[in-house]
Amino acid sequence: MSRWSYFLRRLVLAIPIVIFGTTITFMLIRLGPIDPAAAIIGLGDPEGLERIRTQLGLNQPLWQQYFDFMIDLFTFNLGQSWVIEPGTSAYALIVSYAPRTIWLGFWSVLIALFVGIPLGFYAGLNPNTGSDYFASFGGIVWRAMPNFWLAIILVTLLVQSQDLLFGFNWAGWLVPTGIVGPPPIDFLAEPLGAITDPVDWWIRKGGDGSFLAALKKIAPAALVLGSASMGNEMRLGRTAVLETINSEYVETARAKGVSSRSIVWKHVFRNALIPLVPIITGEAFLLIGGSVLVETVFGINGLGVLFYDAALNADLPLLGSLMFIFILLIVGLNIVQDLLYTLIDPRVGYEQD
Amino acid sequence: MSSRMLHRDRRRGGPILSVEDLRTAFFTDKETIRAVDGASFEVHKGETVGIVGESGSGKSVTARSIMGLIESPGEVLDGRIRFRDRGTLERFADSFSGKTVDVAGIDDDEHAATAGNDDFVFVEEWSGNDPSGGYVDVTRASPSALRKLRGNGIAMIFQDPLSSLNPVYTVGNQIKEALRLHQGLRGRAATEEAVNLLEAVSIPDAKRRITEYPHQFSGGMRQRAVIAMALACEPEVLICDEPTTALDVTIQAQILELLNGIQEERGLAIVFITHDMGVMAEVADRLNVMYAGEIVETAPIEELFANPKHPYTQGLLESIPGRHPDDDRLRTIEGDVPTPNEPATDCRFAPRCPEAFEECEAVHPVSVPVNEGTNDHTAACLLYPEDESREAAVETHRRRGSNSEVSIDE
Repeated sequence: MSRWSYFLRRLVLAIPIVIFGTTITFMLIRLGPIDPAAAIIGLGDPEGLERIRTQLGLNQPLWQQYFDFMIDLFTFNLGQSWVIEPGTSAYALIVSYAPRTIWLGFWSVLIALFVGIPLGFYAGLNPNTGSDYFASFGGIVWRAMPNFWLAIILVTLLVQSQDLLFGFNWAGWLVPTGIVGPPPIDFLAEPLGAITDPVDWWIRKGGDGSFLAALKKIAPAALVLGSASMGNEMRLGRTAVLETINSEYVETARAKGVSSRSIVWKHVFRNALIPLVPIITGEAFLLIGGSVLVETVFGINGLGVLFYDAALNADLPLLGSLMFIFILLIVGLNIVQDLLYTLIDPRVGYEQD
Repeated sequence: MSSRMLHRDRRRGGPILSVEDLRTAFFTDKETIRAVDGASFEVHKGETVGIVGESGSGKSVTARSIMGLIESPGEVLDGRIRFRDRGTLERFADSFSGKTVDVAGIDDDEHAATAGNDDFVFVEEWSGNDPSGGYVDVTRASPSALRKLRGNGIAMIFQDPLSSLNPVYTVGNQIKEALRLHQGLRGRAATEEAVNLLEAVSIPDAKRRITEYPHQFSGGMRQRAVIAMALACEPEVLICDEPTTALDVTIQAQILELLNGIQEERGLAIVFITHDMGVMAEVADRLNVMYAGEIVETAPIEELFANPKHPYTQGLLESIPGRHPDDDRLRTIEGDVPTPNEPATDCRFAPRCPEAFEECEAVHPVSVPVNEGTNDHTAACLLYPEDESREAAVETHRRRGSNSEVSIDE
């Protein structure tokens, strides 16, 4: 079987997985103890409760509810919020909350990718040196610090930065921004501004709404959210490089006179990436899916917070829609992972006859 | 075998590769392991020199020292590895003119003293302004010089063909990499040459094969591809580190035959490392027996098989399966190879030696001719030279051992 038919098969296999996941979601939210009618008008009015149940269609047979639920989701008819913002479509809610989470997730993934992996590779290429110990120790520390704790410490530190960091004032540095609160990302709505009005778009706009302001505002949260992955990828990157560099094909390459630069970039790098692919994609989901804790501490009104509220308030359509989107995201990332595997490793999908 | 006689005739002129008193050690927190401890041997053009010994005897470290592949915590401490190839000499004298030293008319032992710290190209003869004789000392060469020497001057193939090709690049890509580095071929010319090389190592359907990945090759095919890759560098000396150990016996024979053919065709000198005496008998012209970092016996192959002198060699030959068909059990040499972590003050084989006597514990044997008439059969054993009395022989070893005493500063 060739690499690409392997990839195609993975693609087709994704369909039953999405169906299965959505079914489980339905069972969890409909068969669990959540009662949306009670959440809307309380338990004091039995008649009202019954009326609301009928209105919402909760009295219909379960199998019919199931089919409605599945068909609605798979046709992207996400329904309306019942509790959090009654009457608003779930789609509109998600669209308004998602950009902040994506902005946060994007930078956390970048930090993990572009700090964690290079650091790990550097440590692996210089094993048992001072800088390796420093990086490895740092990796363990980053890995070990819990999100919520690091988030609180960082907020505390930044709020009092003038007293604690020798007069350095974080809030006023470069562009004035608050320390907590949602990042001002409205500027993304006009991407053309990056070219037509570069100074305003990238830097200024009164410190509110420029690229720089949004980046500065999200930086502490992204650092916190990305820290664990950064530590993980650093440690694994180091191991992967060490394993590859001691392999016989690297020695063979050296024996035929390949320069050390070419050894690292051609022979070591690509092989060392193979074990990192599932780690990167696995963590990418974690970050894009947002973190309730980090979003709460930093006051970022993102998907994590929305999901948490929807679950607490029994907002079934919203909850189901969010779950469905998360499922699509996971499956999508797994497909990306398979694609990366297929591109990097020619042995993928190879079966000896 | 007639081809073997042919090789013998080619042994005119000096050796193309000579290893003298090579010492390579690995420094760990606990101890210093003297993996190679004073090994000396020579390789002539068109000749196959075998190095045989048990696991841990220092065979592979010797090979890696020659290739300049020893890395921290290992270090080549002492000795000379001289590579005499006129093409390489001219190339290196040209590109490393600042590190070339003129030693014409200077006594061999004085070369190192004449040279500056960084010098590693030694010119002994000039024809006009061009060097026509001399050598490159691998142990002194800089990393960039080593890289130029690797592959092109001396190439190496490794034990496990399954893991010596990079799994994520096509076989063609890896052969072409060597062609680009050493012959400056690129693009279509490189592809054509790669196909030629694969055909030269008897891989059928080479045009298609170069676009395939290593995992699509069988074990024997992979070793052929590795050999093709080594040949792409156009080496003068080919070091084969147990190239057939990981292959099954029928494939083994094919690979040995292939190596023989290539050697005939290109006049390669081959250093062949194995622990398999049977394979050795097939390929080698001369044999060096290695034990605990030292070469304990050296002889032409027929001589060594017919008249093994060192008790260790005798033990090795005795333990070849099938030598004593009537025995119930296979013969072995009792005990293990010791880890050489101290400078030798005794014979390292003495604890396992059936013929050990008192002095073996106190005197370190050096390589001596086994008897007066022979030049090409030496053994490092207090029993030899066998035409001297035991006391005289021991005295010879004691005297020569104290002359060449080398201390290692740690």
